[in-house]
Amino acid sequence: MDFSLDPADEAFRDEVRQFLREKLPADIAERSRRGYHPLLADVQAWTRIVYDHGWPGPNWPAEWGGCGWTHLRQFIFEEECALAGAPQLDVASFRMFGPLIMTFGSDALKNRYRDPILRGETCWGQGFSEPNAGSDLGALTTRAVREGDEYVINGRKIWTTNAHVANVLCVLARTNPESRRGFSMIIVDPKAPGVTIRPIIDIGEGHSLNETIFEDVRTPVDNLIGEEGQGWHYAKSLLDNERASSAEIPANKFNLMKLRQMAQRKRGDGTRLIDDPGFAARLARLEIDLQALEFLTLRALTEKAGGTRLPVGSLLKVRGSELFQKTGEMQLEALGDYVSYAYPPPEQSPHGIAAWPPGPAFAPGVVADFMYRRATTIYGGANEVQRQIIARSFLEL
Amino acid sequence: MDFSLSQEQQIFQDSARRMLETECRFETRGPLIAKGSFDGDRWRAIAEMGWLGMALPEEHGGFGGGAIETALLMEEIGRVLMVEPVWAIAVLTAHALLASGDERALALLPRLVAGEVLPVLAHNEADAGGVTEHVATVATPTAQGGWRISGEKTLVVGGNIADRFLVSARTSGRTGDREGISLFLVAADAAGLRRQNVRLIDNRWAAHLLLENVQVDKADVIGRVGGAIDALDEAHAYGLLAACAEAIGVMDRALWITRDYLKVRKQFGTTLSSFQALQHRMSEMLIELELSRSMLHRALSLFHAGPEIRRQALAAAKVHIGRSGKFVCGQAIQLHGGIGVTEEYVIGHYFKRMTTIEHELGHSHFHLQRLAELEQRRGTPVAPLAARNAA
Repeated sequence: MDFSLDPADEAFRDEVRQFLREKLPADIAERSRRGYHPLLADVQAWTRIVYDHGWPGPNWPAEWGGCGWTHLRQFIFEEECALAGAPQLDVASFRMFGPLIMTFGSDALKNRYRDPILRGETCWGQGFSEPNAGSDLGALTTRAVREGDEYVINGRKIWTTNAHVANVLCVLARTNPESRRGFSMIIVDPKAPGVTIRPIIDIGEGHSLNETIFEDVRTPVDNLIGEEGQGWHYAKSLLDNERASSAEIPANKFNLMKLRQMAQRKRGDGTRLIDDPGFAARLARLEIDLQALEFLTLRALTEKAGGTRLPVGSLLKVRGSELFQKTGEMQLEALGDYVSYAYPPPEQSPHGIAAWPPGPAFAPGVVADFMYRRATTIYGGANEVQRQIIARSFLEL
Repeated sequence: MDFSLSQEQQIFQDSARRMLETECRFETRGPLIAKGSFDGDRWRAIAEMGWLGMALPEEHGGFGGGAIETALLMEEIGRVLMVEPVWAIAVLTAHALLASGDERALALLPRLVAGEVLPVLAHNEADAGGVTEHVATVATPTAQGGWRISGEKTLVVGGNIADRFLVSARTSGRTGDREGISLFLVAADAAGLRRQNVRLIDNRWAAHLLLENVQVDKADVIGRVGGAIDALDEAHAYGLLAACAEAIGVMDRALWITRDYLKVRKQFGTTLSSFQALQHRMSEMLIELELSRSMLHRALSLFHAGPEIRRQALAAAKVHIGRSGKFVCGQAIQLHGGIGVTEEYVIGHYFKRMTTIEHELGHSHFHLQRLAELEQRRGTPVAPLAARNAA
């Protein structure tokens, strides 16, 4: 055990801060801090800025053309970006399908997608869940049947994040009807005939989710990621690789910072919510929860291969998702009456922000974010599923 | 950063665990507890293992380890619910002596490490509630240049077997002032010192001390007159860290004992481990344990980052571990059912040790309040929120 920090890493943190001060556009940061779903244009513009600064793929290894940073530096980068209000780089591009293609994909797919991902030009729609296969992916029914050099895909996907703005979809489809895990990951053009994308508006009145229907959709067999029938294995490897980010520390840290700022606001009578000792104690508790999650994350990040069988990803997922919700609840307390005013996401409303009711500057987006975050304990494997994984795999119950 | 044990640390942990699991068996510890949870031969064996000087510098007879080694040992002590006063003597008292910088104190350290002397810090008072500078015991100067000490010291863990006490008393100022606290070496048989030995609910032993005009010489002052708070802070920092580590061992063992029980106990025609409600409860216990362990790691990583940062990190760890420990050990009883509340069975004793730890050096609520006050004093976060109001 050695818990000392490398001064070089702290110097790196300063470098990232400097970059953010100089390069993060104020308007993008302002929109991003509000808490509505990020605009694709903002995410793409910001990714390009990071790329042009000489930091392509902050979480990618050098052999993929990425920055080749240590896990700790990736973490520092993401944390500083989140605190400064930068939009998160597209998770599906950088953390899911990009790594899958770079690890398992053909050279043709690598050449097609690598540079566009690094430059922020791709937006991936993730077609995993189905109406009858949520946390239970084994129940998927979407079929991909090979006909010549094409797959013909039929099925319904739901919760397809960003499908409505995506320029590429990735579908988890059954290619072997005999096997419960006989899935493949296949890339589909969202504009292909037979693809229908319907919006699903979440309880924050935002649009990031979709229902995506595939009716005799044809896609070249070259669009298969890796080998046929290995989709389950690939999905699992994704989860393993991403387990250390399950608590979403950067975003949780930002939310807590936002809560502090809201609670420090002087109210009409000159008092501040933070002056209430009960509120301050609950805020301190959230900070402690965050600290614990952060150190468990660092433990997962710095662990050598084969270090522990502890299902760290599940532990982090359960408590990280709960922290989002607890922080959100306290942000609502800080809003007072303005909790109940509807501030629809600007892009969802014909008059944009001009249609917003009055309120403190920080009000718009808080409740939208809070409402959407009810999903955090459901997505990525509901927390009940995570508890089951912990009980089975580690406690051997 | 490296969260895995080095080879030396692993060897130390393995050997400590082997020895403690053999020597501290719950079923056979009755006679030891009956004689004050102390035995001279056992204490010498503990000294020979090097455990009394783990985190002390080599120049004072120690083995050059630090906070990490202290934590490793205390976790093992927690796992077996060891009843001997290693925490009181080798952590609290040793670090108070070391941090005092006083020549007489430093000369005592090699003998403490060897198990030849049994000095015990007598600092705590009933109303302190975790406040290190809370000292109502008073020392007044005598005409001969010595001091006369009067006051009451509570929950002096290990005090029942002490051969001398390191007593804190106020030589100036008021209760709660950081300045004006002094440390005195007081023989255990000093006139005016009344010691009542008390068995604790977790079967460790302590002393309750009444001091009535206890006379000490000028030479018995340890460190600067009125300037003992830094040494006490240091002792409390190590003490808190060690208590947190001990709690991790307590929780860890309580969890696995419960896990094993669920796999064998049958009700309704099946093992308890097949019930999902219980599986999920155990998962929650594991989550609380591992997040608590992370708070210990965090406290270790910030232990030398300056007094204020260290104080906050220890407070945060104590809050988390206090809450999680109650949950884990409380649920360990719950999942055992009726046998869990019997004195004869081990699991309730994990709950009892957790309870004493929760009340050592400041309850969770005390530390949380301090952190809450810090939240109230914080400046506005750096990154501004959206500046434009649509209204």
